[in-house]
Amino acid sequence: MMGGAWRRLKSDRYGMTGLFIVIVFSMVAVCVWSGLLGQGWSDVSGNRWESVSTTHWFGTNLLGQDILQRTLFGTATAFEVGLLVTFCSTLLGTVMGALAGWYSHGWLDEVILWLKGVLDSIPFYLFAAAVAFALQGIPWAMHLAMIITFWTTTARIIRGEVMRIKQREFIEAARAIGLPSIKIIFRHVLPNTFHVLLVQASIVFVAAINTEVILSFLGLGIQDGVSWGLMLAESSQEVLAGHFGNFVAAGTSLFVLLMGFNLLADALQDALDSRRATA
Amino acid sequence: MSCHALKVNDLSVWFETDSGRRQVVDHISFSINAGESTGLVGESGCGKTMTALAILGLLPTSGVGVSAASIEINGKDISSLNAAQRRAVLGRDIAMIFQQPGTALDPVFTIGHQISAVYRRHFGGSKKHLWQIMLDSLEAVGFSRAEKIASAYPHQLSGGMRQLAMIAMATVCNPVVIIADESTTALDNSTKSLILKQLERLQLQHKTAILLISHDLAMVRQSCRNVLVMYCGRLLERTDCQSLYSHAQHPYSAGLLSCIPQVSANRPPRISAIPGQVPSATDLPSGCHFAPRCIRVKPQCQQSVPHFDSEDDRAVACFRPLS
Repeated sequence: MMGGAWRRLKSDRYGMTGLFIVIVFSMVAVCVWSGLLGQGWSDVSGNRWESVSTTHWFGTNLLGQDILQRTLFGTATAFEVGLLVTFCSTLLGTVMGALAGWYSHGWLDEVILWLKGVLDSIPFYLFAAAVAFALQGIPWAMHLAMIITFWTTTARIIRGEVMRIKQREFIEAARAIGLPSIKIIFRHVLPNTFHVLLVQASIVFVAAINTEVILSFLGLGIQDGVSWGLMLAESSQEVLAGHFGNFVAAGTSLFVLLMGFNLLADALQDALDSRRATA
Repeated sequence: MSCHALKVNDLSVWFETDSGRRQVVDHISFSINAGESTGLVGESGCGKTMTALAILGLLPTSGVGVSAASIEINGKDISSLNAAQRRAVLGRDIAMIFQQPGTALDPVFTIGHQISAVYRRHFGGSKKHLWQIMLDSLEAVGFSRAEKIASAYPHQLSGGMRQLAMIAMATVCNPVVIIADESTTALDNSTKSLILKQLERLQLQHKTAILLISHDLAMVRQSCRNVLVMYCGRLLERTDCQSLYSHAQHPYSAGLLSCIPQVSANRPPRISAIPGQVPSATDLPSGCHFAPRCIRVKPQCQQSVPHFDSEDDRAVACFRPLS
């Protein structure tokens, strides 16, 4: 089944472009984490607002820091936020959604739906600001705010999928061989939601990177280190003065990575659709 | 007297609805000996599947009521077990083969994985041991290239092959009783006979008791020794297949038999039907449920319920049986 999905993905030119972009960016992130790239992001290596040159490919910023180094380091930040938030919120959303769907219309379902309803009714940026304020000084405040709010969408989708799947005959067959509910959920229900989960996770990944940029721009985001959001925040002053280095570097990186991811997510959705796979 | 492989004693199932209690299985009792097949026949909606699910304890707990004096497998009562104890019996002592082989297999796992998972659930064992057991069970149902089938996903197999795989899955733990619920209904005739032949072979080998639920009387005749006729949740007749086909006692059984299309060379097939419809479970007629559709109806039929002797080998619930 996975083989067929890969074949379908390979024949999708947009999907492969997306995959290529994502691989390039993730390799940059890995190089930053392993200390090969972007380590000079905080060094003052030139004068203020130097223009593009062979030593500073994207010029320098207000303090004379190299913008290329900061962009590369920002890639790692973006991936760190994206991966962490995606992993945690998908895990939380899957478990909550699976429980709600399996015990649908029971008390557990009611509690989870109520929690989801409450979280969904708070304006997100207000909520992020509140969490950031409540957890001042803790570097994970922004991540936490995103995880707490992002799991609800995953949970809603998984709940629906589980409610659909649990009606199917192979679930009854699993009962007929004496499997307890909890094993049926994890061995037979959730593996059947895998294609939905993968697509949803890629959407969350994009949303997390996007949100990090906005929150950092608002001053609620990354506390130490540099991110594309912080660079865009810096550029809001510089662009008026005619210095486009930060703006172009961070904006383009953000645009290209998110577009690559969206292309990949779209292609994955088509390639993994089990209805097409069985047809 | 030998011990029955399956003995169901006074089993009832009902739905709790807003308009009151709907009795779908009404105090039925029957037993099957080891190594024998019994057919459970009746029109759609007469409670056949409900009986099967109630025996396995697979009915939902809310809105559905089940009561039974006892359900014994090899003399051991499973109706009084708690959920965990019952799960230990399911798949090991009693297995079910479902109607739709396409949907009863998990689409994301290979056939081999699913079959060995059943055995592992009940007996455990090393990976190599499980793999061998699984291959043996696939070969036992007649697959010559078991390795290839084992690594296939359900959607890569045809309907008949999936049903054979389901049988391999049901028999891997060598159960005492197999319940086959309309297991061949979705298949073409030659595949149907192949499946029945394999089931029969396994039955001979392992002395398995089979409850074959079907509305296909011709098929039941082919493969069963005894037959139970069910209507509106009640058993109307129990007899051996031979005598049912030669002289059915209950008018309903006779009606069912006359509905089998007769194909002969010199005249076009005649199709007959029992007049009227199966009454809704919310307003069942008093007395004999079949009375409104019966051609031999008497005033007595509408007032009291005919007795069904559950101990005798041949029994009929009718005041005016045929022959």
